[in-house]
Amino acid sequence: MITMGIDLGAKNIKVVILKDNKIIGKSIVLAGFEVEKSAQQAVDKALKEAGITKDKIEKTVSTGAGDKLAPFYDETKSIVGCDSLGAVFLHPATRSVIDVGAEEGRGMRCDETGKIIDFEVNEKCAAGAGAFTEAMSRALEVKIEEIGPLSLKATEDIPMNAQCTVFAESEVVTMVHNKVSKANMAKAVHDAMASRITSMVRKIGFDKDVVLVGGVANNVGFVYSLNKDLELEVVVPKDPEFVGALGAALAAAGWKGGK
Amino acid sequence: MIEQFKQIEKNRHDYAKDWKKKNDGKVMGYFCTYVPEEILYAAGVLPVRILGSHEPQDVTEPHIFGMFCPFCRDCLAQGLKNRYKYLDGLMIAQSCLHIRQSYTSWIKHRPVDFNKFLCMPHKVQSPHAYEFLTKEYKVFKKELEKWTGKKITDKDLEKAIGIYNENRRLMRKLYDLRKRDKPPLTGEQVMEVVMAMQMSDKAEHNKMLKDLLKKLDDYTPNRETGSRLMILGSEDDDTVFMNMVENCGATFVIDDHCTGSRYFWNEVENGKDPLSSIAARYVNRIPCPSKDWEERKRIPHILKLCKDWKVDGVIIMQQKFCDPHELDFVAIKKSLEDAGIPTLFLEFDVTVPIGQFKIRVEAFLEMIGEEDLF
Amino acid sequence: MEQTNLYPTEKLKCWNKAKDIRMKFYQDYAEAHDKGGLRWAGGAWTFDAIPAGLGEDVYPITSEPYSATIAFDKELSLECMEATEVKGYPRDLCSYMRNYWGSIITDKFAFGYKDGEFVPRFQGAKPIGFPKPDFIWQDHICCSHAKWYQVVSDLEGGIPMYTVDNAVGPSNELTESKIKYVVEQLKDGIKFLEKTTGRDYDDELMFKAIRNHFVSTSKWAEICELNKAIPAPLDEKSIYSLYVLGTLQKSGKQVADFYEKDLLPEVKDRVKRGIAAVPNERVRVMSDTQPPWSFLSIFRYLEKFGCVSIGSLYTFGLIGQWEVKKDGTWGAKTIPDVEFSSRDQALYEYVKYELHKPEWQHFYSCHLKSDMMIRIAKEWKLNGVMLHYNRGCEGLTVGIAENRLALLEAGFPVMAFEGNNADEREFDEARTKAKINAFMETLGVK
Repeated sequence: MITMGIDLGAKNIKVVILKDNKIIGKSIVLAGFEVEKSAQQAVDKALKEAGITKDKIEKTVSTGAGDKLAPFYDETKSIVGCDSLGAVFLHPATRSVIDVGAEEGRGMRCDETGKIIDFEVNEKCAAGAGAFTEAMSRALEVKIEEIGPLSLKATEDIPMNAQCTVFAESEVVTMVHNKVSKANMAKAVHDAMASRITSMVRKIGFDKDVVLVGGVANNVGFVYSLNKDLELEVVVPKDPEFVGALGAALAAAGWKGGK
Repeated sequence: MIEQFKQIEKNRHDYAKDWKKKNDGKVMGYFCTYVPEEILYAAGVLPVRILGSHEPQDVTEPHIFGMFCPFCRDCLAQGLKNRYKYLDGLMIAQSCLHIRQSYTSWIKHRPVDFNKFLCMPHKVQSPHAYEFLTKEYKVFKKELEKWTGKKITDKDLEKAIGIYNENRRLMRKLYDLRKRDKPPLTGEQVMEVVMAMQMSDKAEHNKMLKDLLKKLDDYTPNRETGSRLMILGSEDDDTVFMNMVENCGATFVIDDHCTGSRYFWNEVENGKDPLSSIAARYVNRIPCPSKDWEERKRIPHILKLCKDWKVDGVIIMQQKFCDPHELDFVAIKKSLEDAGIPTLFLEFDVTVPIGQFKIRVEAFLEMIGEEDLF
Repeated sequence: MEQTNLYPTEKLKCWNKAKDIRMKFYQDYAEAHDKGGLRWAGGAWTFDAIPAGLGEDVYPITSEPYSATIAFDKELSLECMEATEVKGYPRDLCSYMRNYWGSIITDKFAFGYKDGEFVPRFQGAKPIGFPKPDFIWQDHICCSHAKWYQVVSDLEGGIPMYTVDNAVGPSNELTESKIKYVVEQLKDGIKFLEKTTGRDYDDELMFKAIRNHFVSTSKWAEICELNKAIPAPLDEKSIYSLYVLGTLQKSGKQVADFYEKDLLPEVKDRVKRGIAAVPNERVRVMSDTQPPWSFLSIFRYLEKFGCVSIGSLYTFGLIGQWEVKKDGTWGAKTIPDVEFSSRDQALYEYVKYELHKPEWQHFYSCHLKSDMMIRIAKEWKLNGVMLHYNRGCEGLTVGIAENRLALLEAGFPVMAFEGNNADEREFDEARTKAKINAFMETLGVK
């Protein structure tokens, strides 16, 4: 069976095409201002990689903040549901999922089939999303891909106010004036983010194995800080930003874990 | 000068644990300055005020919704992080809503041997508040006696009142010294003294205060006083902030806030009997914003403080999300400005953006400094 | 989303009467002086039977429902809140207050006249100026209550004000001393009222008002009890329009009569005939704290999933009075079988009764609230709970995080969503709907 999953996130649109539970095509495109156009682009790219035409897709599920803007879909499914399904597929021992995207951090607990037991979302008063690291990278004048490895070179822990992004940003200004090293500042940023995420996750509790998905999972600095806060090692699957779209495609195929 | 006090404040847990060992007594942690410490002291219990540690934390989110003040969450974090494991009891007197949550979450998730929610009335301006509070104290006294296994006599209460009153009198003397053109201590140093007061045995604190007052008798500090400031607000124990301001060419000479003068300002006066006298003290004392109604009694008090301590400017520190204070400060700000006293408004969290605040404080000091020229 | 109807449904017959009672309440307040009467302002938790002793032409305005009315009128609400912010009041203050103060500052009442008819502003009326009350009779339990009216008095250039401190501890620790403290304040309050209005106090009128209060609060609870039925005869969105009468004037005869003689019999009848509020009822939930008043549409959204919110501790216990019955379940509080023989005795009975209010208990311990919420979830046979983490009201949101933990521990799925009861800028409708979608998935309904 060939299915498609489209995850229309706040910043990026991800598409996954599955054939008999194997990924045969995927793509990621910046959503931008013309979301429908970008979504169509993403779909076309994925189809091209899979080497098939649209009519071969038997079922499509869309998810994410912009789920209704997909160029076509048979059903929508919640992003937390898709994340869990995708995570359990890639890693059957998954019982908790943390998804840190561009604009939102989410925590989930699921069972062995990938069904959601409880979930929580980072709301107001939170510096727990990818947009924060982007802003910080700009402030530190490093490339976004560099900020993670840079933070691993830190020599000191500097506490940053983790409650309010705005307060945190002004604390960076203070650190710059106090000539704190870039590496130490980078670590402070990741610690602050990890603290926000951990705070949220504690609300629903977490069970091993904990899987980290979403774009920010690629940030080794963030993973390091998060592991310290949670006192365990999170599992980061390959291509973590595609787990939501994968889950949507699995849902379209009627896949369930635990078999 | 104040090293001993700072020691206690910075090592508050060690102090309490040592006290327990030395005296074989019980330690009662408490929130809120409306707790009648005299009764606890008379029962041989050491009251210690729970304050935060100014560190960002991630443990209170499941227990207290993020829109409640950072202080109450910081306090709860101390309990959840097991820093107060040595407490035998935990209590709170009814005041504001936010801090109540620190108490109710704490007793559920870190249970203690004895806990008490004391129903301190809100309408302290009603003549019926005394009788009501005195009855509540009577009940509380019995509960304490049951817990400690010792009776609390009137003599015990009188003794405790004596020690507490002396402590308050000595602190007022210390505060009076700050009226000088060159106050012998900075606001930061005094804050350490007041914080230590809330975490130590008052008899010991009295000794330390007497020594300090002797030393300061004819002591002139080797620093410029600069602008004379008042800090006013709900709860504040941010020594880092005080330090920053006082390094910009200013000195905090007086305050009106919950971890400052409001804690000790009024003495217990002689009344019918010890319990009702204590009740009268707590009913009549300088009120917390949550109890300052229908008439606003804080305002004349604040204006008098400004006059007597010759204040050049007031920093209004607003604990983020603190409703009672937010409801007061518009009226307070207006009366200060009507009296020709400039104000600077700052919003506080558990840690503060020192850099950003410095800019504002410097600008404020420049502004009030200019006014002196005319 | 499944739409097949499982049950018959009907609109409430007494719906229009409820609306009329509400409009008349505001009209009487606005026109009070025209007929030589008095008008006063105070909160929904005041002992409102007391001012009734001043005469039969004494009309209140109740702060919280009035503020909710403004909140519902998005345009006026924004204007009011911005006016309040200009005066220096922070945005995280109770949003009811900010709407109310704004109404005074802009001098725009939420009602006015259109073609001679008294209607809300958003129905096209030209708003009249905010009618200034003759006195303030307020209660105090949450930090803001008394101070709300301190500011009102400041804004209006001074209004005689009397506030009663209700905060004497949980009802399971009630003592004679606590009742006395409140009673003595009420007695002082009556003297204040006489002095301020120059009128002689009539105890008989007060007795009648207290009796109305007993009836309103007990009958309202009886009505809520009926929602234990499956299917639920009432849904929470409709309940808001019905319970509001109790918040406006529990001690008014029109409210007591409406609950006892109109609404209660009709709901009993609906239960008898199996009439549902939500015809495709498949899943039952409850909510908590005030809803986001300008987004009541989320309750209609729930219905798409066949989900009915049967009420909340808020709608049940804010005005309703309850007790544990012999069979261990929760039911309406029995109306005290007493004759009022003197002012002191009547006040005593009034205070003793009212201090049992369920919505006052959590002020002393959130765990008391958790117990009540778990009880409702069990007895009203619920599948889940939706908690409104309400940034606009600290009094009702205090302790809500612990309530959530307790409900989860008791085995009930909980969805928490952030919002604000009266500041629509703080409610993210799209995000909340996405959360509801996910929550419904966990409850097994699409």
